[in-house]
Amino acid sequence: MKYWNPYLETLPKEALTRIELSYFRDMLSYAKTHSRLYQDKLKDTSPEEIRTLEDLKKLPLTDKEEMRTYQEMNPFPYGGLLGTDLEKVTTFRQTSGTTGKPIYVPETYESWQWRIEAWCHILYMAGFRPHHRVFLPFVYNVYVAFWEGHYAAEKLGCELIPGGGLDTKGRIHKILEVKANAMMNTPTYGLHIAEEAKSIGINPSSLGIERMLCAGEPMPEATRRRLEELFGCHVFDHIGGTEPCAWAGMCEAKDGMHIIEPFFLVEILDRENLQREVEEGEIGVAVITPLGRRSFPLIRFNTKDLVIKGESSCPCGRTSQKIKEVVGRMDDLRKVRGVLFSPKTVEEVIRKDFPQIEEFEIIVERRGIMDVITLRAEPHPELTVSSIEKTKHELQERLKIATNLTFNVIMEPPGSLPRYMLKAKRFKDLREEKP
Amino acid sequence: MNEQIREEIKRIEESALRLQALAKENPALVRNAEIILSFVYILKFITPKG
Repeated sequence: MKYWNPYLETLPKEALTRIELSYFRDMLSYAKTHSRLYQDKLKDTSPEEIRTLEDLKKLPLTDKEEMRTYQEMNPFPYGGLLGTDLEKVTTFRQTSGTTGKPIYVPETYESWQWRIEAWCHILYMAGFRPHHRVFLPFVYNVYVAFWEGHYAAEKLGCELIPGGGLDTKGRIHKILEVKANAMMNTPTYGLHIAEEAKSIGINPSSLGIERMLCAGEPMPEATRRRLEELFGCHVFDHIGGTEPCAWAGMCEAKDGMHIIEPFFLVEILDRENLQREVEEGEIGVAVITPLGRRSFPLIRFNTKDLVIKGESSCPCGRTSQKIKEVVGRMDDLRKVRGVLFSPKTVEEVIRKDFPQIEEFEIIVERRGIMDVITLRAEPHPELTVSSIEKTKHELQERLKIATNLTFNVIMEPPGSLPRYMLKAKRFKDLREEKP
Repeated sequence: MNEQIREEIKRIEESALRLQALAKENPALVRNAEIILSFVYILKFITPKG
């Protein structure tokens, strides 16, 4: 079977929109009666006013800062964000808190299963099937990461190997021992596993991994291809978050990601005013309404994820709207010497054209009145001195073309830069004021 | 989507509600019926009228 839910995945676009607007009105009614945040925020709004996608713009966006304020209310710890009786909550999750106090997210049995159902679409699209023995090389904890993947794979009928309590070499040996043939990981950790495998004389492609689903950080196409080459497997991407859930995933065409409709009503709005739905091929901010999760109602949540709007058609036959690419987080975009800079561009250049670079780090700092941007790059240990020097110059040239910025490139000794398990922190802005 | 499928989901819901009412002194039965209702919610969500 090609689709997880053939009915939903091939509905005509007009039907999907009609269903989503109907679900949106239901969720709006529910939120207004069950969530303190929306009782206050939407008190003058009637669900019946929302008849078209254009009508959505009558409603304000929800952002994290106001969520933090309402979280401080009773009942502890979810406050005015809770959409159900506290005693119905079965799981606590939280955001990482990188931009402020973490948001605590309550899930009931029902809401969790709703999330899992949406996730099943992501895994099924990525070709995960009951014959897959899925290795999860992470410790699960208060963050949502990998819990959803675990339960969705189980629901699909896969066999799960939780590989949390091991170091990377231990995980590599466990993958071989149990003949795992699928994996879920961050792109960064996928590259790290490959590097570690090579260091102990194991070719990553001999691990037997057929399918890999990546999560947790934007994955440039060059990184996805590099993982495919290293592991000799199919690599897929998806996007989501703790608050809005996982909302889009990649199909076999590996060309952008399908929004999981009608689970989510996704608007992609212009980043200047957050008012206009952008055109196909244009960058916008993803604004998400999960349409069936009642434990934690969210209406028009501003994810601050920058994406490029994709096509509405796909060779796979699915009819859902696609996003072409995840550009990064609004928070990660910086102005350096007046130029808008995204760290993802650097990763794209390195993964595509510099396989001899094992790890890297970008640092922006202010010296006097000048912004200085530095790339610390760690070459492969077998590179000769002259090759390192040549690589350094080529990096400077390629980065200048790609970013319009002159980088100070420093080649570091092998093994000197940090390696990451979950989300990589390869970008550091040391300036006091972030323009 | 076949209307018969929606009818069948409705019957599961009614059956789970009856089970809850019949077994209200038995936490195991009540909770398991409640879990069936969680899945009924999802079944309804994924079978909307086109």
